[in-house]
Amino acid sequence: MHQQHSKGFKIIEQYLAGMQQTAFPFQIAAWHAIQSGKSGLVNAPTGMGKTFAVFLGSIIQFIDEHPNTYTQQNNNGLQLLWITPLKALVKDLARAMETTLKYLNIPWQVGIRTGDTTTQERQQQKKQLPEILLITPESLHLLFTHNNHANYFKTLKIIAVDEWHELLGSKRGVQVELAIAHLVQLHHTQKIKHKHKLCIWGISATIGNLEEAKNVLLFPLKTKGVIIQAPPTKKINVHTIIPDEIETYPWAGHLGLKLAHKIIPIIEQSNSTLIFINTRGMTETWYQTILTAAPQLAGAIAIHHGSIEKELRLWVEEALHQQKLKAVVCTASLDLGVDFKPVDTVIQIGSPKGIARFIQRAGRSGHQPNATSHIYFLPTHSLELAEVAALKHCLQNNIIESKPTLLLCYDVLVQYLCTLAIGGGFNAKELLEEVQQTYCYQQLSIDEWNEILLYLTSGGAAFHEYEDFKKLELDSNGKYVIRNRRLAMQHRMHIGTIVSDAMLKVKWMHGSYLGVIEEWFINRLNIGDSFVLGGRNVMLTMIKDMTVWVKASQATNTIIPSWMGGRMSLTANLGSELRNIFSNALHSQLPEMKALAPLFQLQQQLSVIPNNNELLIEIIQEKKHWHIVVYPFEGRLVHEAMSALMAYRLSKLQPVSFSIAMNDYGFELLCDERIDLTPQVVVQLFSTENLITDLQNSVNATEMAARAFREIAVIGGLIFQGYPGKNKRTHHLQASATLLFKVLNEYDSKNVLLQQAFKEVFEKQMEEVRLRSALKRIQEAAIRITHPKQFTPFSFPIVADGLNRNHISSEQLEDRIKKMQQQLIH
Amino acid sequence: MFAPYLFPFKNQHLWLVAEKCIFWEEEGALILSDTHIGKTAHFKANGIAVPEAIFKDDLRRLWQVISVFNPKKILIVGDLLHKKNNQEVTHFLKWKNETTKVPFHLIKGNHDILSEEWYNDAGIILHQHQLLLPPFLFIHNPNETENDEEKDVYTISGHIHPGIRLKITGKQQIKLPCFYFGKHQAILPAFSNFTGLAMLKPTKKDKVFAIANQNIIEIK
Repeated sequence: MHQQHSKGFKIIEQYLAGMQQTAFPFQIAAWHAIQSGKSGLVNAPTGMGKTFAVFLGSIIQFIDEHPNTYTQQNNNGLQLLWITPLKALVKDLARAMETTLKYLNIPWQVGIRTGDTTTQERQQQKKQLPEILLITPESLHLLFTHNNHANYFKTLKIIAVDEWHELLGSKRGVQVELAIAHLVQLHHTQKIKHKHKLCIWGISATIGNLEEAKNVLLFPLKTKGVIIQAPPTKKINVHTIIPDEIETYPWAGHLGLKLAHKIIPIIEQSNSTLIFINTRGMTETWYQTILTAAPQLAGAIAIHHGSIEKELRLWVEEALHQQKLKAVVCTASLDLGVDFKPVDTVIQIGSPKGIARFIQRAGRSGHQPNATSHIYFLPTHSLELAEVAALKHCLQNNIIESKPTLLLCYDVLVQYLCTLAIGGGFNAKELLEEVQQTYCYQQLSIDEWNEILLYLTSGGAAFHEYEDFKKLELDSNGKYVIRNRRLAMQHRMHIGTIVSDAMLKVKWMHGSYLGVIEEWFINRLNIGDSFVLGGRNVMLTMIKDMTVWVKASQATNTIIPSWMGGRMSLTANLGSELRNIFSNALHSQLPEMKALAPLFQLQQQLSVIPNNNELLIEIIQEKKHWHIVVYPFEGRLVHEAMSALMAYRLSKLQPVSFSIAMNDYGFELLCDERIDLTPQVVVQLFSTENLITDLQNSVNATEMAARAFREIAVIGGLIFQGYPGKNKRTHHLQASATLLFKVLNEYDSKNVLLQQAFKEVFEKQMEEVRLRSALKRIQEAAIRITHPKQFTPFSFPIVADGLNRNHISSEQLEDRIKKMQQQLIH
Repeated sequence: MFAPYLFPFKNQHLWLVAEKCIFWEEEGALILSDTHIGKTAHFKANGIAVPEAIFKDDLRRLWQVISVFNPKKILIVGDLLHKKNNQEVTHFLKWKNETTKVPFHLIKGNHDILSEEWYNDAGIILHQHQLLLPPFLFIHNPNETENDEEKDVYTISGHIHPGIRLKITGKQQIKLPCFYFGKHQAILPAFSNFTGLAMLKPTKKDKVFAIANQNIIEIK
């Protein structure tokens, strides 16, 4: 049945032969699948040509359809829509496609449509779309705001979604789901004579739930589809940098810099090195530290992260390609994207917190087929050595994380309804059916739908008195539209903003652009304070019109922003492996664990090392404070919820305030009163009964929801970030997400976006599913309570890291304030 | 409403009220600032749905303090309106004219941008820059005062929506709106509940009164 020897196939084989290449078996399989009109998911590691598996498939299809005229067919209309999350990637990708097309003498155009596309190009595309359009999810939604957008997609044959593993589980992924459902719907309803089949192809790196990833993507098609997998990934060699001396009292972030000298020889012996660091703030510190340790590297080392000026980032990427740099200090900003051929070594500083991320990063080195990837791991505190031991075990046993899928994101839906209301309007009944075709909104009820419509037409159930709120209006054809041109324009400007925090531009006083920075960070600074951005010491001179103006600073005590984004949480798989590693800590033959022996011996001597079927709780008295430290090894996020739950339930037993701290291994409740715990009480404290009610009642749920609300408010259009260059005019519309959350919570608790904030807290931030299974595990675990006389190696990093403290209390606010001598914070 | 907190100051009796205003006994004046009337409507007109219950609640609180203290005059230290005349503003004026005969004095703030005629028609006495009622000088923006120590006046301002960060037991902290009394000037909390907080960093000599739920708590 396969047209193995179709004309298209032969031409492509000849083309590859001409390039001294042969097709990989998985590519051929993908081409066959595309030929027979199937949809599916291609899974292959970076650098294996998964792009070509889909792109060349589309070409083969075209040649086979026009075997004699394919070199003359101009203006075919859009054939291949290529959705990618990465703006930075599209240029290289487009270039590669154009080269191939030129070689094959196919007169296709390749177009790019992202936030960076010029107005001129946009106009051109509006007249005649290219055959291949590379687009980001946001820009695709922007196309839907065009009145006649249905016409654009009449000829569309393949929707390809690149880096689907990155999009899945994110709100941009939900945007893709909605877009696909819309395109499928347009395809069904369009009246064309010879209707072709519309295929959807995802391209994904390895994740634990590939099958589910495929199902989410193909959901609107109602077909099963196929998964086409490349053979197992290349070999990864993990080298651990073991400190000469093990600190028995590890402190987060304390150790790493001391080991900086150990990476200098690695950098020097390698061709080109990527140094991955978890937080943007630390990249600045490491960049400076490496330069101090090895001044000879000046000029050959650069820095790359999400808040550096775009030109500088592009320069760094270009220099990496051209082998001009010995090393780049970077964050997740270089996790993805095109391969840098000269890179042969990767250094990971601090725990990567997950197996998938570790593999991804390791894969950034050694690109030749069959080459081995080398990754060096440098711990930032000694216990991370145990994490790398766990990582190695997972690598050997092919254990990898799944990407959770999102359900019922009201904010993205609110945004989408406005999008379609601008792009010609929508019929409520038809659109509900279309939206229910997505995996994300398959369970959307008519009540929820009406609630959202009500919110967009009148501002919600609570708003009736003043009629001046109108976003959507019903037109005479029974379609919902946005008539107000100003609102429509605001919305268009807004679509791209799926961000978690308000960002401010940072500019030099003379006007040139330095980068962006989170608003909350700047709000903590005073005029004259110095901070570091993009490796430069700068002094804050003024904040005006959403721009931070700075000048060079000579100050030595600069503040380095500790970006929130860096607080990644340990994944479930790694946590579980870590419990195994710990449980066998004293007898392990692994080099990492051998090095840690003094630490574990001290832990055993002062308290105990828990087995993997035990839960350890340490109660340590320090003057008038009691530290209750619990070690579930479930990651920061789950600990956040678990600690709030425990504190809340304890405070029901006796009125008391707690201050809470946590890391990936455990959490601490600190209080001023003695608390006695027995294993029976502990089991009750971690019971799954009334879980949601109790979590909701903990002060934390509100605080966490307030944080989650930031992103929702931006996506849902509650926070308007302003017109470019016209920020002044929006001054009267600025309200912080915190304020909006406060007033909605107080005055309109049924608001759909507010409800979503709470829902997200349970699902995403508290990882409810994981929390439940962790609590169940505790119910069956043996509870070990110890009373060490001093801090143990396990407890020390948690107690020392007081940065992330939350609090919960059953006492009245006034009582709490009056309770102790009030002190001002200066 | 909870009992007001008496704060004797400059030989005057100032009653601090948890509804975020001051009753000045000698002058019979109710002093408040930053009511930002019309803000919720302005947001809504721009497609941002905020509950108008905030506005109604602000009016309810204002009515409550007026009926408790029965003031001879009401001093609004700037930012009476948020931006322009909208339905909420109309509603406010109707409410004001129907419920109270007490004269409203407005010390013009940066948000008060309507024409003089408008305030005239609305029956609001407008003071272009400041209002002197010894020993106090009322002026909207605290940064626009001239800290002239020879002049024996003490300024009372609004504008910044002051708040205070409190450290309480076990390294916890909370943020609360507050009244601030410095050496030369005082700053009132914003009356409207639809306002954020700007954190103050007072020195030991300053007097700060935090508003926690319905209580006034002096911070020492």
